[in-house]
Amino acid sequence: MSTVDATIGWDRLIEHDRVHGSLYTDPAVYEAELERIWYRTWVFVGHVSEVPEPNDYVVKSIGPQPVIMSRDKQGEIHLLLNRCTHRANLVCDAARGNSSAFRCPYHGWTFSNTGRLLGYPFNSGYDGREAKRELGLGRVPRVEIYRGFVFGSFADDGPTLLEHLGDAREALDRLVALSPSGELDLSAGWLQHKVKANWKMLVENETDGYHPQFVHSSIFSVAKSGIGDLYGEESTALSRDLGNGHTENDLRPEFRRIDQPLGWFGTTPDRVPGYVAQLEAANGAEKARELMIDGSPHVMLFPNLFIAEIQLFVIQPLAVDETVQHVTAVQYKGSPDMNRRMLQQTIGSVGPAGFLLADDSEMYERNQRGVHARSPEWVVLKRGTHRERLDENGHVVGDATDEVPQRAIWKHYRSLMEAGS
Amino acid sequence: MDVGEVVSEFAAVALSIDHDGNGPRLRIEDLKTGHVGYLDALELETLAWLPEGALHPLLDPSLHRWRKPAAGGGTH
Repeated sequence: MSTVDATIGWDRLIEHDRVHGSLYTDPAVYEAELERIWYRTWVFVGHVSEVPEPNDYVVKSIGPQPVIMSRDKQGEIHLLLNRCTHRANLVCDAARGNSSAFRCPYHGWTFSNTGRLLGYPFNSGYDGREAKRELGLGRVPRVEIYRGFVFGSFADDGPTLLEHLGDAREALDRLVALSPSGELDLSAGWLQHKVKANWKMLVENETDGYHPQFVHSSIFSVAKSGIGDLYGEESTALSRDLGNGHTENDLRPEFRRIDQPLGWFGTTPDRVPGYVAQLEAANGAEKARELMIDGSPHVMLFPNLFIAEIQLFVIQPLAVDETVQHVTAVQYKGSPDMNRRMLQQTIGSVGPAGFLLADDSEMYERNQRGVHARSPEWVVLKRGTHRERLDENGHVVGDATDEVPQRAIWKHYRSLMEAGS
Repeated sequence: MDVGEVVSEFAAVALSIDHDGNGPRLRIEDLKTGHVGYLDALELETLAWLPEGALHPLLDPSLHRWRKPAAGGGTH
């Protein structure tokens, strides 16, 4: 529903344990979010392994903004706006390629892959005053890389990427630690799922431990998966506020209790002997066993990167009620037996015929239709408020099915929106 | 001898080794227009040693291809 004007104050729309429905439906709120969140904070764009060779490039996005991620001949990574400086045509159309220069298909203006304007056809049509230096491609002003993950920020200054990630950077450390080579390969390609729903529906759902037993019961049943039990009342797993809007479903307490290496992945070491040998060689047998018990993180990095154990999801808002999820399989560089299984599981769960994301997408679109109802006006996020507590690092945690993550997301969201007022 | 095609969203060329002359040379055919150019071994070796950005001036569309013909023919 959209009966409340956001200009009356974000505190009137966002309370500790409930938020107003208009936040999902009001186009004015969406426009404000673009400026205050998507074009200000750090946003995940891509991974260095997607542009492994000099002059490689891929087409990416920051929300609705079209972005080219290029690696120049010196190896430096650039985030350029995919918009010709002449008449605004998209310069690159292919999802990926290798080229030291880009030529706009509309009038042939040609740019280096670092964004510099190299020239245009029929230059006698200009009187010589055109300054090529000023007509280079637009740039994302700040680019930082952590563990191979490339983030961009449209703000000229502000918190560093590490300040933005805070303690949530440990999620990226944990993810990379499971690769025996210490590197990820995220070049398997990206599936795209478009839903008619507000982007925050997706962010909230990624670390919602309350829904799996309902929404995903069919795939858990068919696959004879024990994942559903991780999100029950008896589970020792935790929901966690990692700060800065980053949230987690920490399943390690359950995996440690069960004490089965690779149990998190639903397999056993004898089925991936090459991977296990590599992990032990890289870490020693004891540490490798710990890694295989704890498994891969389930963390939502605000606002757009969801680490879902063996997949990565990138959330791209296109309109107040339209969002694309880009999904790829996590691949450990140099571990073919494990990679094959992770790719198969990714296709099975979030591929075109997969159950998991189809289940969630149905919920997103039903939520979006429901939130337009005139009454009640509020979305309730009270679950577990009475049993919130601090962990050893001072982070707020709750039980597995509690809405600690959702409250954390909205708390940070409100701080960003108020800061931009 | 055909070498193959090199294609991007910006250009498409077919490469082959031409032996019509006294020595081999690389034949480059622009697949969009049929225009053909040649590079000999020394020119190719020079390209291999080009530093970063040295080809950029040649990528200016107005340098040789899309420009007003000079008086008396050719390009200016």
